[in-house]
Amino acid sequence: MHTIAWLILGLPLLSATCIHLGFKRNQGLSTLIATSSALITLILSLVILGNGKDTSTAFSWVGAMGEHFKGIEIGLRIDQLSRGMLIVVTGVGFLVHLFSLTYMKDDRAKARYFCGLSLFMFSMTGIVLASNFIMMFIFWELVGLSSYLLIGHWYQKPSAADASKKAFLTNRIGDFGFMIGILMLWGITGTVTFSELELWSATPAPFNSTYLGIALLCIFAGAVGKSAQAPLHVWLPDAMEGPTPVSALIHAATMVAAGVYMLARFFTSVDLEIIAFAPQTIAWIGGITSLLAALMATQQDDIKKILAYSTLSQLGYMVMAVGLLNAQAGVFHLFTHAWFKALLFLGSGAVIYACHHEQNIWKMGGLRKKMPLTFLTFTIGTLALMGFPLTAGFFSKEQILEAALHQSTPLFVMAAIVATLTTFYMGRLLLVAFLGENRSKNSHHAKEVGALMLIPLVTLSVLAVISGYPFVASALSPLYDHVDFHFGPAFWASLTALVVGGGFAFTFYRNAETDPLSDKKIALVFRNKFYVDELYAQIVRFGQDCVAAIVHFIDELIIGGLIVGGCSRAAEGFGKLFGRLQSGNLHGYATLFGLGVILLIYITVFVP
Amino acid sequence: MSLLFVLIPLLGALAIFLGSKAKSTAIATSTINCILGLGSVFCWRADVWSMKVEILSSPSLHLAFGFHDGMSVIMLVMSVLVLVSATFSGKCPEGREMLWYGSILLMGAGGIGAFLSTDLFFFYAFHELALIPTFIMIGVLGTGDRKEAAWKITIYLALGSIILLAGLIWLVSASGSENWLYSSLLASSIDEDSQKGIAALLLIGFGVLVSLFPFHSWAAPAYASAPAPISMLHAGILKKFGLYGLIRLYPMVSSGMQCWLHWLIVLLLFNIIWVGFVTINQKRLDHMLGNSSVMHMGYIFLAFAALIEAGSLEGNPLAKPAAVTLMFAHGISIALLFSLTDVIRRKTGTVEFVELGGLAKTAPRLAFLFGLAGMASIGLPGLANFSGEVLVFLSGFHSYQGQELGTLQIATIIALWGVVISAVYMLRAYRSTFHGETVKATSEQTVHDLGPFCQIPAAILCLALLVVGLYPKSLLGHLAEPESKTPLGQTAK
Amino acid sequence: MASLNDYLLVSGLLFAIGLAGVIIRSNIIVIFMCLELMLAAASLTLVAFSRFNVSSNGLPDYDGQVFVFFIITVAAAEVAVGLAIIVALYRARQTINVEDLTSMRG
Repeated sequence: MHTIAWLILGLPLLSATCIHLGFKRNQGLSTLIATSSALITLILSLVILGNGKDTSTAFSWVGAMGEHFKGIEIGLRIDQLSRGMLIVVTGVGFLVHLFSLTYMKDDRAKARYFCGLSLFMFSMTGIVLASNFIMMFIFWELVGLSSYLLIGHWYQKPSAADASKKAFLTNRIGDFGFMIGILMLWGITGTVTFSELELWSATPAPFNSTYLGIALLCIFAGAVGKSAQAPLHVWLPDAMEGPTPVSALIHAATMVAAGVYMLARFFTSVDLEIIAFAPQTIAWIGGITSLLAALMATQQDDIKKILAYSTLSQLGYMVMAVGLLNAQAGVFHLFTHAWFKALLFLGSGAVIYACHHEQNIWKMGGLRKKMPLTFLTFTIGTLALMGFPLTAGFFSKEQILEAALHQSTPLFVMAAIVATLTTFYMGRLLLVAFLGENRSKNSHHAKEVGALMLIPLVTLSVLAVISGYPFVASALSPLYDHVDFHFGPAFWASLTALVVGGGFAFTFYRNAETDPLSDKKIALVFRNKFYVDELYAQIVRFGQDCVAAIVHFIDELIIGGLIVGGCSRAAEGFGKLFGRLQSGNLHGYATLFGLGVILLIYITVFVP
Repeated sequence: MSLLFVLIPLLGALAIFLGSKAKSTAIATSTINCILGLGSVFCWRADVWSMKVEILSSPSLHLAFGFHDGMSVIMLVMSVLVLVSATFSGKCPEGREMLWYGSILLMGAGGIGAFLSTDLFFFYAFHELALIPTFIMIGVLGTGDRKEAAWKITIYLALGSIILLAGLIWLVSASGSENWLYSSLLASSIDEDSQKGIAALLLIGFGVLVSLFPFHSWAAPAYASAPAPISMLHAGILKKFGLYGLIRLYPMVSSGMQCWLHWLIVLLLFNIIWVGFVTINQKRLDHMLGNSSVMHMGYIFLAFAALIEAGSLEGNPLAKPAAVTLMFAHGISIALLFSLTDVIRRKTGTVEFVELGGLAKTAPRLAFLFGLAGMASIGLPGLANFSGEVLVFLSGFHSYQGQELGTLQIATIIALWGVVISAVYMLRAYRSTFHGETVKATSEQTVHDLGPFCQIPAAILCLALLVVGLYPKSLLGHLAEPESKTPLGQTAK
Repeated sequence: MASLNDYLLVSGLLFAIGLAGVIIRSNIIVIFMCLELMLAAASLTLVAFSRFNVSSNGLPDYDGQVFVFFIITVAAAEVAVGLAIIVALYRARQTINVEDLTSMRG
């Protein structure tokens, strides 16, 4: 059992190392290695899931030092949460590998791409299986690295290179908070291991709840970075510069959900009723993110950007649910969302591939007839994302709305508005891209993609429907609380959202050639993402680059120039001054000598 | 036995000056030394491996070498690794082989001698020995504004050394010890007032050598204009001498150091944040790396501040391992970066960011190695620097009890922001050097990827970074051992 | 009979003349002669002190006079060396005017 778990962690690393060191020249072998390692990890994850026993194993990474510091462990923790998450990661991971075989067929750096994918699989399973916060932080940063590498796969494109840099740096800011949180938590509880945190939580020693709350919020900052919550959400839309399968795997299904996963880990380990202010803050940040992202999504034209903002919005949902102390609902939504969002991204990947890398939805249109199977699967994904009854998204969204309804009315209203907006922008996407007429040559020449791409799409669309039903969810989902369905306000709210959002989308965008709303003032604000990027650019320019220039200037002027240079100039000046006396004129010397002798005599004789 | 590590490069340098073939002699001696040094990790024993010869009776000076504890071993390993890769790095100008390789070996011998000396006088003298070739090499074979850089580093380090020497003399006379042996100094006790003064002198003296703010302005220009092996050896090995000395001498003046804790914390934060901002604003790769190495010293000082705050080595058992791990990691990673920067300079003829771009396409191996080293230096997990940094931060929070944050904790939090700063400058540098479209200086006609000879040093250093990064216990295990192996200092008690 | 003060006055005057010559004149030979004048003044002082410092046995203190012999011998040697230097200087620079010899200026 432990061996299998270590294998799941180690195989992708082995594959990445092999590809990088040995088989980079042999592209075909590289893809084979990476894909088969993904398949094997999926099978092993299923074995672990079937086994169903909770267990843990660890080895010491840094030994204990003194009484207070018990060392750092690299440990694996296998319980329901990690088992379910493993299925999500390896499942989506394998399908994305499969999809990439076709999508990246013509890429010259295919080996590097698959090496990056394997590295990502390694880091992500590390997060999932981590038994303590420090280990989680280690893999947390490593997924950041693999995301950096994969976003920047086409590094020669300046936009891709900038996007990868932005993603890494934004995540670093989150990790800054994360590390502070871990350190404070260590100070308060004396441990960073999840199982010991559980023990501590059962019988907590007296502690200051304010500081625990602050520690929690700092840890949450890590999730804000990784799960792209406001105000650190700006990197995720830019991350769409990476290859589309990567967007599906990393920036939709798994890595961005790591923040939610980590919070769920924490919330299931520590009882948080005592520090109400921290979870509330988390819930509000989640709610605000989901609303802002949904608004921004309504005016995007790039098919991947629309999906990226919808990811943001759905992540906001999950974070909100966790903040409302209903981690089950949040993680359940994570689980269903992973399938249908991966489906949507891969679907969009298929479309982009078929349209010769055209991403603007206004230049597509009429794809329903050209790519019927893709259209079908994409529609299923869209319906699941909208929360259409009887799809997976419906069940999980229902639980979140339910949680919001019980705890905070404003958040419930917010969530309902977001649901309406979701239906609206996804309806817009579907109507514009797939229905209507062909609007460009690229879409005119589009044709259905091959079987290797369709297999993942079909598999995912099946999962996008069934994964919400209790019999699947209770077996596979990382956390699942069965809630009996009833026709309460939450149901009616989501139904209204569907009807209203869908209705608006249909009126505006049926047979539309251009966006009828685009000339509205408010639409401009949404289209420009509330000008947050511009704001941050200014902050970076003034808060960092200008400060850096000033500091550098002062450093050179005051320290290098005034103090150090001053010392050297002082020495030089004194030298010049005394050099004057060295006139080279014998008369001068003689005079001075005579005066000196007279002075000496005067002092010895007349001064008492 | 431990004398061997000093003697081999010294004899090598001597042979070179006497006329043996410079390059092959240097490679042979440094390789032998490296193999022996790595071997010593597994079989060192403090009591057996030490030696002591009195060479002067009044004042009593001993030529004494040995391992104090695991820290000496780790420093030795770092030194031999950097030394061997330095001999492979850079390109010696025609006809200057004797000076070039002789200086490299002398610097290596000086660094190793300082780490292994158990007599404080030679501890000091070996460092001075290593400085002489540094000055000469920068002044004679450097690039750019080499004269000014050479003078700057000379005056700064000479000043720092004099202050340090004054501190050491005061230390010895205040302890009442008859000789300069570390063990007899450790056994004696020093009164509070002298401790305070000695601590100040040591902090300033060592501080100048380690480029503690505001004594840092020598570092960047010197490293930028020095030939590659010299900046590798100085930034990698000799700069660690100051930190090593501070930690080594700390038990003798522990209460004296306490008086300067707050000053030190302020200065080290300046090192991290202030110099970090200076680094962001650099326009050249070599200047950026020079400044970044100054910045990273702040973290090691942070671990030292944690040590001071605790009052004794036992009070904060994390601080010393943290500092040593980070010293090791920084030594290796900065040496690698300087080595690769020199490769870039030679291949493209420039290190200005605006003139570079797209190197990842024309030189993928170089891009990978530089990326690895850069990621290591900004503390990416899986590489050695992270294990050092995380221990430093943990040591900063060692005394935190879940209540209000103390000065040290706040300093640690501020220092953590430095992690973001370093990511900013390193990724920007990587972006403008390796990503984007290729430009004239980096086009396929002018640039070829790393040849096998250039890869040797990089491979050695990368391997060290990875081994320690993936399993820090391989390094830290040796730090914990001296309890069972009776370190020199404690046998004298 | 002349008193000690008279001797000292004369030697002081001699010395002052020598010093003034050294300071004012620019020909090295003259400066050299003035230096000799100053030496002579010092010798005169020594002899005078020796003559007027009579010890208990009625004899003057000869130390001073011995000293003067030394000065005379050393001065002779000095003249030899000094004139040789001046000749060498003249050969090199074609001048013995000190105002032209300022190559040691800092």
